[in-house]
Amino acid sequence: MLLNYLKIAWKVLLRRKFFTFISLFGISFTLMILVVLYAMIDYTIGPHTPEKRVDRMLFANRMQLMYREGGQSNSSIGYDFLTRHVRTLHTPEKVSLSESNFGTTVAYVGQQVLKLDHKRTDGEFWQVLDFDFVSGRPYNLDEVRDAARVVVINETTSRRYFGTTTGVIGRPLVLDAVPYRVVGVVRDISISRIFSYAEIWTPVTTTTDNLKDPNYLGGYQAIILARRADDLQQIQDEYQQVVNRLPVPDPKTYKKVNSYAQPLLASLTARFNNDAGVEGGVGRFMKVVLSMGLLFMLLPALNLININVSRTLERSAEIGVRKAFGATAGNLVGQFLLENIFLTLLGGILGLGLAAGALHLVNDSHFLAYSTFALNGRVCAVALGVILFFGILSGAYPAYKMSKLQAVKALKGETAA
Amino acid sequence: MIRHLITLMWNRKRANGLLIVEIFLAFVVLFSVGSVGVYTWRNYQTPLGFDYQDVWEIDLNPGTQPRAEQFGTLQRILQRLRSTPGIVSVSRSVSNTPFAFSENSTTLDTGEGTPQGYGDVYDADAELPEVMGLRIVAGRWFDRRDDAVSRRPPVVITELMQRALFPDGQSAIGKTVRASLGKPEEFQVIGVSGPYRAGGELSEPRPGFFLYVSPQDTARAMQVLLVRVRPGAGAALEKRITNDVRAINASWEMGVNPLPTQRLAQLKVNLAPPVILGMVCIFLIVNVALGLFGVLWLNISRRRGEIGVRRAMGATAGNISLQVLGEILVLTTFGLGLGLLVAAQFPLLGVMGVQTGVYLTAMLLAAGLLYLLATVCALYPSRLAAGIQPAVALREE
Repeated sequence: MLLNYLKIAWKVLLRRKFFTFISLFGISFTLMILVVLYAMIDYTIGPHTPEKRVDRMLFANRMQLMYREGGQSNSSIGYDFLTRHVRTLHTPEKVSLSESNFGTTVAYVGQQVLKLDHKRTDGEFWQVLDFDFVSGRPYNLDEVRDAARVVVINETTSRRYFGTTTGVIGRPLVLDAVPYRVVGVVRDISISRIFSYAEIWTPVTTTTDNLKDPNYLGGYQAIILARRADDLQQIQDEYQQVVNRLPVPDPKTYKKVNSYAQPLLASLTARFNNDAGVEGGVGRFMKVVLSMGLLFMLLPALNLININVSRTLERSAEIGVRKAFGATAGNLVGQFLLENIFLTLLGGILGLGLAAGALHLVNDSHFLAYSTFALNGRVCAVALGVILFFGILSGAYPAYKMSKLQAVKALKGETAA
Repeated sequence: MIRHLITLMWNRKRANGLLIVEIFLAFVVLFSVGSVGVYTWRNYQTPLGFDYQDVWEIDLNPGTQPRAEQFGTLQRILQRLRSTPGIVSVSRSVSNTPFAFSENSTTLDTGEGTPQGYGDVYDADAELPEVMGLRIVAGRWFDRRDDAVSRRPPVVITELMQRALFPDGQSAIGKTVRASLGKPEEFQVIGVSGPYRAGGELSEPRPGFFLYVSPQDTARAMQVLLVRVRPGAGAALEKRITNDVRAINASWEMGVNPLPTQRLAQLKVNLAPPVILGMVCIFLIVNVALGLFGVLWLNISRRRGEIGVRRAMGATAGNISLQVLGEILVLTTFGLGLGLLVAAQFPLLGVMGVQTGVYLTAMLLAAGLLYLLATVCALYPSRLAAGIQPAVALREE
């Protein structure tokens, strides 16, 4: 039965190739665009190198001082504050402190200027995050304590500075006229992993900043690793208590201090939503993304409905015969829905192929530094969900319309549009 | 003929409902993407007001040096830079340099209840016009005379600001203006300059004004310099200045950013959304066009009988073509009408604070494109319809 329906569907597709092409074009490009977008989101907030254990991570990277007269001052956090209040939390397994934004440091190769994205971190950084080391090792806690001039670089920097990625361990890299010793080479990290991305990493103690500055606001962030994913809530609560107990700096100017430990997505959306609290505006973000996606699908779906209605009306004779021989409306609705889902599946597979190509183009264009967008299991699963949804969305109305045709009229060839 | 067509299509509005909705949505898409496009293009066409070739922006970071000593070090760095061959002129600035993704803005007015000008505020010293090629339209730029402490500090405003503050066309020179920068302050206008759109080509052209940083100012403009270099200067000069600064004080860090590079980086970020929107829009419109074409084609083959009768009654091939074309244009008009109702809300409600002209241009563009699209889609089906032979078509019945 099912096989029969599929055979019919296939024959219908082959009968008018131009219309099949129109339908497939619409479906596959719609899906391509949605898959590309989702893949980008997945590679920004999903579990990928170096935040492979992202389900166990919290990020504390923003401090908010509320002015008495309304208004607020938002910034990253001071290093001293993080050392005192975040490193000392009891519930997390490990806490890593690092600069919240990467800076630029210059290295010269002959007459050429290399502008390198540079992040200073502590030793725990390499334990909390999972970088892929091509050779060498991360710098350790002792080297950070002693402010050793050591550096971990990514493959591309190694290639640009030394001309090779092998045998560079122990060689000097001169940054702003100061020589650093290369201790490790890691695989390139995409800039979409905004909290860990850099091209070179050095111990935080090599900075010219004053790490003992007691100001709450500063240029640093904490990445917190929990023992288990279930502990996140507990850690957030503990941090909240710490923040609530803090004395307000300069109580004449400010009335309140806010800072939250948030999962990756929330800490990203919170940047665009200053009043969101610990939830970080994730709910609103999801609503906007979903409604934009639906709105975007609406036009191609309508288009497909239009084509489908016209095409199925051509088959009124067939429907008349089926009805005359006792097929119920439900049978027919099922058959047409199935046919449409079959069509969208075909288009969907094409779309996945197109999406893979498009993502490859995006990576090749170097639009986002070191992006490695690709399709993975999660992306494909979401794509499949979208295909089914799209198939039902665009097949339901034509199928319903077909099933309402009256057998007598249909057999007489009246299409009653 | 047209009235007849409208009646025909109006009677079949339920059957054509989906097509109308599709055209309506296509119009909304074209209108919104068109608005973004027109807005971006208009901004791009407006002159920047400065010359960014061969200008470098230098970021200085005093590191751990005590604040009291920083000014002395800065003086020595400035002196060294000015005497470096390859450097034409140096100007002290703050973080809102051209293409820097950073802006300072506030409101100027001339008194209670007078016209206001909202725009960018720049800190500038006497060298800025030389470094950036800024044009002075009236009055003069800051110079020695402004170093003396006077009752009202001097200010130079841009032409747009002059127009905003004095809509009646008076000259602003010598007038007193007020700005609230932390605390309300009064300034005296000493000059009017051409535009200075540090936000880059795609930023909205808006008023601006300059506040004077005297060579003795120890509070402001300590960490960013704008430097005009000789054409062709490159890494060698960059390395030399970096080393010089380090030699003057080892705790100072510096970064050099040529403005052309900054401009490209900013363009890349600012152009990405409109380009992506444009690509999605093109896909949606191609999709709609193919769909429209398909539906029209199928409709023709279902209406062979009707067309056969019309031909038999003496209608020419041209008449039939016109009918098919006319029908789809009437349908498009229905969809457009709905779409215009929605689009008109944008200028009426003044959403996004964009000029009405942008919306009107976008509406015209979108409507024109849709009519073009409908015509192109109907061309082949209409020729198909015109080619139907009455004898053949009527025999089929």
